[in-house]
Amino acid sequence: MRLSDYIEQSFTNLWKRKLRSFLTTFGVVIGIGALVAMISFGKGIQKNVSESFTQLELFNYLTIFTDSALLRLGDPDIRQEESTDDGSKTVLDDKVIEKIKGMKGVEAVFADIRFPASVKFNQKEEFVLIQVLPSELAASKLMKLRMGEPFVQDDDLALIISDSLLSRLKVKEFSSALGKEIEISTLAFDFSRINPMDLSSILQGDTLPFARESYTFRITGIAERMGFGGPTPLRSDMFIPPGVAKGLKTLPFSNLWDLFRSPKQQQGYALVNVKVSSPQNIELIKEEIRKMGLRSFAMIDHFEEFKTGFLFLDMVLAIVGMIALCVASLGIVNTMVMSILERYGEIGIMKAVGASDRDVKKIFFFESSVIGLLGGVFGLALGWVVSGLINQVVNYFLAKQGVPFIQYFSFPWWLCLGAVAFSITVSLLAGIYPALRAARVDPVVALRHD
Amino acid sequence: MSAIIKTDRLTKIYTMGRVQVVALKDVTLSIERGAFLGVTGSSGSGKSTLLNLLGGLDTPTSGTIEAQGKAISRMNKDELARYRRHEVGMIFQSFNLIPSFTALENVALPLLFAGVAKRERRQRAMEVLDKVRLAPRRDHRPSELSGGEQQRVAIARALVNQPDLLLADEPTGNLDSRTSEEIVRVLADLNQRQALTVVMVSHEERLLREFSSHLIHLEDGEIFEGEGAG
Repeated sequence: MRLSDYIEQSFTNLWKRKLRSFLTTFGVVIGIGALVAMISFGKGIQKNVSESFTQLELFNYLTIFTDSALLRLGDPDIRQEESTDDGSKTVLDDKVIEKIKGMKGVEAVFADIRFPASVKFNQKEEFVLIQVLPSELAASKLMKLRMGEPFVQDDDLALIISDSLLSRLKVKEFSSALGKEIEISTLAFDFSRINPMDLSSILQGDTLPFARESYTFRITGIAERMGFGGPTPLRSDMFIPPGVAKGLKTLPFSNLWDLFRSPKQQQGYALVNVKVSSPQNIELIKEEIRKMGLRSFAMIDHFEEFKTGFLFLDMVLAIVGMIALCVASLGIVNTMVMSILERYGEIGIMKAVGASDRDVKKIFFFESSVIGLLGGVFGLALGWVVSGLINQVVNYFLAKQGVPFIQYFSFPWWLCLGAVAFSITVSLLAGIYPALRAARVDPVVALRHD
Repeated sequence: MSAIIKTDRLTKIYTMGRVQVVALKDVTLSIERGAFLGVTGSSGSGKSTLLNLLGGLDTPTSGTIEAQGKAISRMNKDELARYRRHEVGMIFQSFNLIPSFTALENVALPLLFAGVAKRERRQRAMEVLDKVRLAPRRDHRPSELSGGEQQRVAIARALVNQPDLLLADEPTGNLDSRTSEEIVRVLADLNQRQALTVVMVSHEERLLREFSSHLIHLEDGEIFEGEGAG
């Protein structure tokens, strides 16, 4: 038999039993559709994360901290023990920053400085942690500006504000805020108010050793809220240049323990962010930093953990899809076995006029693979349409909460081809038993007239 | 004249549960090229078994079949399929046409397995249908044809691969006497004009006596009496 004949025969035979063929194929369509939607969701999420990482150049960032900074995050009792142990730890100060700046492949180094302040604008007041950001980074890809410009000079009294903070300040038209003046008030130490012998009054809030200082800034840019903003080196709703920041009187702590620590002024910065020119350089730079007695953390290392998580997610999603497909393949087996019982005589006739076992086997294999092909193609289409709808609905509701539009599903070419190929493979597997059974039909028995 | 097919102590035993049924016992016969052999016998005498063995649909328990020098009894399944496809044509009491196929498609079916291209299949099937005078009914399905017409479609299908041997298993069993005679006449005509060797199994001895050149009688799987079949 010719290939074209097999194909024509299988379509003809399936067409003869339209309803049953349709229902069986529809089962495969649902199975493949579920599988495709599930995998494309897993891949879409993964693509979103890795794309935003790449887009924001997150793989190019390294965070440096000291051992003591690490301990500070933990139990304060341990810190006290350890700190007496070795006082000669490297301090993350400007000298160290200069040294790291000199390393090969390092593009920028900036201390992670954030300080609390209150922001007054549009007759509203909000409390924020302002981050100090060098102007070259304000102009980098890391900073996604929705409108306006980044500040260009480090001593400019200018700032970048995020759109979500503007929303909180009840600004409706973001562009109207551009160029406007904004008031920032910080709290600063006022030593005249403090009496070290009477901590209890401080803790009770009777005599706070703070004074309020106000500054006026100009809004130059409005930053976009990031979809996956968590792990970026930018962790704030407001950014000011370092030159200006140096002039601000403020409390350089974000942790209550800092307040009561020995005022040795040796602790340096808690965290320093390093931008490297390429992710390939990260390992070497990390090694050098380790030699300096400092600890570092790179997003790219973290991404490996993400990948493991994604693999797990993919597997769970694929298993759900596979279950649907398994049910569908049982449908194929059922349909094909039914078809053999109905066509018992026909198989006998075909054998009597010269069909070999292989011919009969192939006829049934082609029929189930046509079910698989149609199921695969339409299943892919169904998965695409359904995931598109889900995407629209989800984004519609998330947009109300200010989340930017995200494509949650991804259809790489290998998924499209793979889905159809997989569908055909599963159908062929489902067709093995029926095909072997058809080939075993004894023409003498099949043709015996009753 | 040379024998187109001969058997030597052909035996077929069916095992049904614990019971063994001897369907054919030590049948030795030789059919000459161009002969019209009639096989009669009561039902269960082994007529159909003999025909199925000769047609390569079944394999013997013991004994040999030799068709034009080739040992059918020692062929594997693929070789048997090829033998059925090219060397032999078969017709049956219940016609065994595929109900969803048209007359033309039924006739063309063996060509499908012979790997003949679609256009040629149609053309050759038309030619054979024309021979059995059914060309005008080529697009009718079996249910739209009379019994005689259906059997003629079956004959056309048996002939489409141009075999030398035609095996007919009770071809008149489902037909009235007038149509029966008409069908046997078609077979006799093919036998005489185109030197087609015909083996026809029937319990209608009258028809066989009239048209066949040789006649054997089977009883309990054995040749009971034979006329010129040796």
